[in-house]
Amino acid sequence: MSLHRVRRIADTLIASQLRSGRSGSDPKSFFGRPALIGLIDGGLFLTALGLATVSLDESHLSASQLASLTSSFLPFVPLIAVGVVLVAGLMFELTTTAKFAASDAANWLPISPGEYLGASVSAIAYTYSPAVALTLGGLLPFAYLGGNVPLYAATAAFAVAALVEGAILVEMVRAATQRTSSITAGRRGQVNLVLRAFVLVLVILLLELAFNPVFLIGIAQRLSTVAVVTAVIPFFWSTESLTQWAGGNLNVGAGFAVAQLAFIAALGYLAVDLRERNWVPTPTEVRLEAHRYAARNPLLALFGLSAAESALVAKDLKGLLRRREMLPTLVIPVVLVVLVVAEGGALGGPVSVVWIGWVAGFFSLLVAGTSIGQERRALQLLYAFPLSPRIVLRAKAAFVLVPSIVVALGLSVVVGLFFGLPPAVFLGVLLLVVTVSVVLTFWGLAFASRYSDFQERPRPQFLRPGGMLVATGSGMALLFAILIPGAVALLYPSGFSVPLGLMGVGIALITGSVAVSWTRSGFEQLFRELPF
Amino acid sequence: MAALPSGAPAPTPGWGAPASASGSALQVDGISKAFGDVQALAAVSFSVASGEIVGLLGPNGAGKSTTMRAILGLVQADTGEIRLFGRNVAADPEATKRQVGYVPESPALYEFLTGAEYLDFVADMYGLDPKTRADRIQQYLTGFELAGHENSLISGYSQGMKQKVALIAALSHHPKLLLLDEPLNGLDPRSARITKDLLRSLASHERVAVLFSTHVLEIAQAICDRIVILDRGHVLASGTVAALRDRAGLSGRDLEEVFLALTGTGDLRDVVDALSR
Repeated sequence: MSLHRVRRIADTLIASQLRSGRSGSDPKSFFGRPALIGLIDGGLFLTALGLATVSLDESHLSASQLASLTSSFLPFVPLIAVGVVLVAGLMFELTTTAKFAASDAANWLPISPGEYLGASVSAIAYTYSPAVALTLGGLLPFAYLGGNVPLYAATAAFAVAALVEGAILVEMVRAATQRTSSITAGRRGQVNLVLRAFVLVLVILLLELAFNPVFLIGIAQRLSTVAVVTAVIPFFWSTESLTQWAGGNLNVGAGFAVAQLAFIAALGYLAVDLRERNWVPTPTEVRLEAHRYAARNPLLALFGLSAAESALVAKDLKGLLRRREMLPTLVIPVVLVVLVVAEGGALGGPVSVVWIGWVAGFFSLLVAGTSIGQERRALQLLYAFPLSPRIVLRAKAAFVLVPSIVVALGLSVVVGLFFGLPPAVFLGVLLLVVTVSVVLTFWGLAFASRYSDFQERPRPQFLRPGGMLVATGSGMALLFAILIPGAVALLYPSGFSVPLGLMGVGIALITGSVAVSWTRSGFEQLFRELPF
Repeated sequence: MAALPSGAPAPTPGWGAPASASGSALQVDGISKAFGDVQALAAVSFSVASGEIVGLLGPNGAGKSTTMRAILGLVQADTGEIRLFGRNVAADPEATKRQVGYVPESPALYEFLTGAEYLDFVADMYGLDPKTRADRIQQYLTGFELAGHENSLISGYSQGMKQKVALIAALSHHPKLLLLDEPLNGLDPRSARITKDLLRSLASHERVAVLFSTHVLEIAQAICDRIVILDRGHVLASGTVAALRDRAGLSGRDLEEVFLALTGTGDLRDVVDALSR
């Protein structure tokens, strides 16, 4: 294995992720260079360090309290690192188009699967390192004053190893999902496509949950023998090692550390093997039943959509189910629901309504955010067809609303039945959840029309990073601003119910109107000139 | 109608050349376009008459694709005007696009659709009724030897098959102007021949105006009524092949030699020598 080659490939993969959109495409710009992430790491580390130092000065905690605090918290940092890479990896790393996932861009070069995997894993780990830098920066003053610097140093080392572990798992998901096309080959028509989508969703879901810290901790907490569980799940071995070390059991801690490293090495070996088997994926021809030409989808026509709008919606819905890079979007609400259920204690009363509203709204935001960028270079087709921006906007909104409303209705019914909500309250919950889905749909479309990324790169995104951050942050704030007053008003009838309800409705109406207006102007602007 | 090779999709009735068919179908007047510091087009002017095939030639980066995109409104010209059948393209872009069939340089198709689903989708964009679209699509699929593959996902198609789908998509609504950016890319000799003969037939019999770019100069020489040579965003020369020969002082030579002489890239010996060392 040539480390030089690994580094060059990793640099290329990171650059391809950074150079999205027009401004970032300038190769001379510092913002398109891998060193940018190192700078972000340093900045976040120092910022967290400064903030933690200031807060420590004001907290007046004793050294023994700090020692106890850091001994309890530091062991969980590697778990956080793996969780970050996995959750982010599910959302952003599996969006690679088949052309690049098959490493067409690289597989003709004289490089080995191990070198490619090493580079890809390094690129992923490096990309998500800011989360670890932030955490470690914030913990350093606590560890220093608590006299836990050696434990802190070990935690930092395990956190880096955990980033690598998470990145290897993401690569395994990538390779495994690549494989599913071959598994389902040979079956005819829609069965093939449905089976392929099902297998892909299942693979992503299982791997995501099997290695998700929140889910695993939730499960462990429900079992009386937590120690036994953590001892047998390799995922916890870093945490177990640090815990044993903090408790003075150096030998046991060292044993877990060795076991953890061996596990990561074994995962790496498996990932290389998977990569090798999928280096050149078996080309499969997916053949459907004979197509019947029709002017309009009758179901979509019921909602007043024109033939062109119906065709656009039907095309996007097919893409959502057939495209490998779109399927993680469908997995996200399932993962979020499972995680909320695994948390267990969080469910009940208005909290559950806020949670399901959050899942539904986040799903709408996510689908809306991807709705335009997923066109990639085929966006030029929409410009070449005789379509007005308004037609495309209506079609994109309908495309997002179809699955969003299905998710919103499904979740509302589940919560309604589970908690035996009275019909009037159930209807209120239903209305609330559907409302946030609609508002977040247009919120996402407003950002998608301005910040979509249409580049075909080894590490493509649907939204440019800046737009994605602002859309997610503002969308979350918006969600809770509508959901919390709405849920409290519905489930805790009191004198405040009416003003709270009106507050929720008011926020929804105002932000919804703003979102629709932004979306309109965004589409007008987008369709003035092809952005690439 | 000129005889087509066996299996070639004959143009169906209903192409409907407009009343102004005898005049200029496309008139490009002094369009300029800059992308930052790069002047992609500089006062480009030319016209294409109904029933005429005009070849747009030029070295890589000459501005051929930008010109086509500007005609269709995919990029906005900084200055100048484009008129299609007498109507300003910028004033009513949707009406313009209805009359145009476009094959981009690198067709980006929706690969998660089957060929038939994609062509049905395109037919919806142009508002074709189900019977017309089914008839036309089937006719073109047969002519381009894609029949039997139309129900497979496009992701499994070869480059040539994708190019054929893009061509059918551009033809199926019977446009009055065809903008074809390297339309023969990836096509096998038979399909390339069918395409060339079809273009000639559409121009001659249906009065369809065709603007197409190619790097294969023999093809341009064989089927184009006129040639426009672009270089670094400027129109370097335009006219019939014979007129270009005269201008280059290369009477009796083929278009390749004329092209190389006009674009100042004629003497390639030094380059070849350096590369082969």
